[in-house]
Amino acid sequence: MKRNLALLASFSLVCAALTAAPAIAQQTTLNVVTAGDQNMVDYIKDFLAPRFEKTNPKAVVKAVGTGPGDGGSQKIAEKLQAQKGNAAWDVDVAVIHQKMAGDLVREGLLAPYVRDVSTGRLVTSEASKNALGTNVQGYVIPMFQSQIAIAYNPALVKNPPKSYEELAAWAKANPRKFGYNGIKGGMSGVGFVVGWVYANTPDGDKLMKGPYDANTKANWDGALGKLKEFNRSVVITPGNAGTLDMLNRGEIAMGPVWVDMFYTWIADGKLPPNMRLQLIGPGLPGQPMYYVIPAKAANMEAAKKFVEMATSPAVQAEGIVKKFNWYPGIDAQHVKSQLDDKTWNKLFVDVTPQELASKGKVFPIKPYFDDILESYERKVLN
Amino acid sequence: MQDRGRLGVLLVAPALAAVLVLFIYPLGYSLVTAFQAKGGGFTLGNFAKAFEFYSVDIGFTLVIIVVSTLLIALASVAIGGYLTLGENPLAVAVLRWLYRWPLFIPFVVAAQCMRTFLAKNGLMNNTFVSLGILDVDQTIGFLDWRGIIITFVWKQTPFVALLVAGAMASLDRSTIEAARNLGAGRLRILFEILVPQVMPTLVVGLILSFVTMMSVLSVPLMISGESPTMMTVDMAFRINNYGDYGTANALGFISYLMTATCAWFYLKRQIR
Repeated sequence: MKRNLALLASFSLVCAALTAAPAIAQQTTLNVVTAGDQNMVDYIKDFLAPRFEKTNPKAVVKAVGTGPGDGGSQKIAEKLQAQKGNAAWDVDVAVIHQKMAGDLVREGLLAPYVRDVSTGRLVTSEASKNALGTNVQGYVIPMFQSQIAIAYNPALVKNPPKSYEELAAWAKANPRKFGYNGIKGGMSGVGFVVGWVYANTPDGDKLMKGPYDANTKANWDGALGKLKEFNRSVVITPGNAGTLDMLNRGEIAMGPVWVDMFYTWIADGKLPPNMRLQLIGPGLPGQPMYYVIPAKAANMEAAKKFVEMATSPAVQAEGIVKKFNWYPGIDAQHVKSQLDDKTWNKLFVDVTPQELASKGKVFPIKPYFDDILESYERKVLN
Repeated sequence: MQDRGRLGVLLVAPALAAVLVLFIYPLGYSLVTAFQAKGGGFTLGNFAKAFEFYSVDIGFTLVIIVVSTLLIALASVAIGGYLTLGENPLAVAVLRWLYRWPLFIPFVVAAQCMRTFLAKNGLMNNTFVSLGILDVDQTIGFLDWRGIIITFVWKQTPFVALLVAGAMASLDRSTIEAARNLGAGRLRILFEILVPQVMPTLVVGLILSFVTMMSVLSVPLMISGESPTMMTVDMAFRINNYGDYGTANALGFISYLMTATCAWFYLKRQIR
């Protein structure tokens, strides 16, 4: 009998807990899912979430990371595709790479939310309209813009190369002093290869703007043969961070890096402060990451509010530029007025705004992108 | 009696369901998609692509893992042998305490440690330089295929050594004493008395290590960016960059074949 009583007691306790649960559920849980490295999750969890929860006391922001590189965006896409038939999807806001944005818009998985968000008027950049050849206007607001550039150690390199041609000559004269991470270890290496194809073929403009022609890749043999030759005198590093690590330890003197990672590593003391950047001609690619809202997000209104806050000039200035050294996602003039000159100029010491405008390229449209990677595997790696 | 049978089924059901849902289903699914074209229908195109792009990597993977397995065998026999035959009690105690540590460290952490340890100007070379053993110009980095092998051997040796040392300890010591009385040296006792008797355990340990190493992505990805690389890296690259599950699964199928060959040896030993 005693045992039955105990059972009854615990049963009623469980019931009480269950009925109490809906009271907590009155709060909205906003699922913000992001591709990219851990710093993206940290940015949402530690910087955006507290700000949003302060002004929206009923909301709780849950940050979820899906992993670095295009693979992370691929996972978000697969999650949305899998939920396609459901009435409400459990991703409220997603942060994705440029490469996946076009696919998601074409498949109708995203909401055209930009018109409902006041900060939508603050973005006019090319990146907010065109994602690797697909029109994405109205569906995306860039969270930030990032750029690949060549980092170098001025103690070892007095006159850094200004173009791909000069770089190839330098690498030959200084064997194993240039390092990049190939194409399987992260986007800074992929970007370097894309820039090589832009520099060594006449197809640059066509690759960035289309239209796609499957025969174009047949003309790349010369450029890729030169790259294979180039690879013999350079070091292949393990990953984006691998290049920075080797620069830090003095094992290489030069290598392509993401500008934001470069500045963050210097700020964290993981890279000596005398390291410099050079954006070589004809140019290296960069890419934005986008805030998007899935077409059937469960908390659509809260999601819009969240993106509005995250793309406001104040948050872009404080979080994106000052804290993470990214170039702002919304148009620069709205952000510049929020910051002191010193912070603003820090971003543009080595790469001037003019250089960024002329040598900051976009990645190629998707079918060409795949062609470049596959041709590299076929011609350079085999 | 029938009730007991039913109860048995009931008891096994959760485990069986877990195996079916979490192992058999994904296995079957990936086997099928390896032979599936993008539109549906049957194709061998995925395999053609896998061999065209990655035949060097497949060979490389096999060589790396076979070499690692052989080195693991040597190292674990050496450790097990010393634990059984060692005459300095302090050295035996220290070794017994030390050798198991890598067992508790995940592959990804091991890879991260090795990445800073084995680099050209990494911890290892810097130590040699500061001790005056090497000059700065003489140092070389091991962040390539050698780094992968070193990490695998470091990580998997304790596992095999644990099994082997256990098997050696449970042997009848009278055979060792008899050999010793007849004047056999320790090395001879190890290879002619101990190793033949623990061979089944050693082989099982090595097979399990082989299969584990086949599946590791973090080590080749973090240690070496060079080409050729291991199949796991290619599979990840196919999926992440092209969304191409077909070729990735074809590569998976090829690695199943490699591990299945191993599993066949394992089962053969188990049954005998």
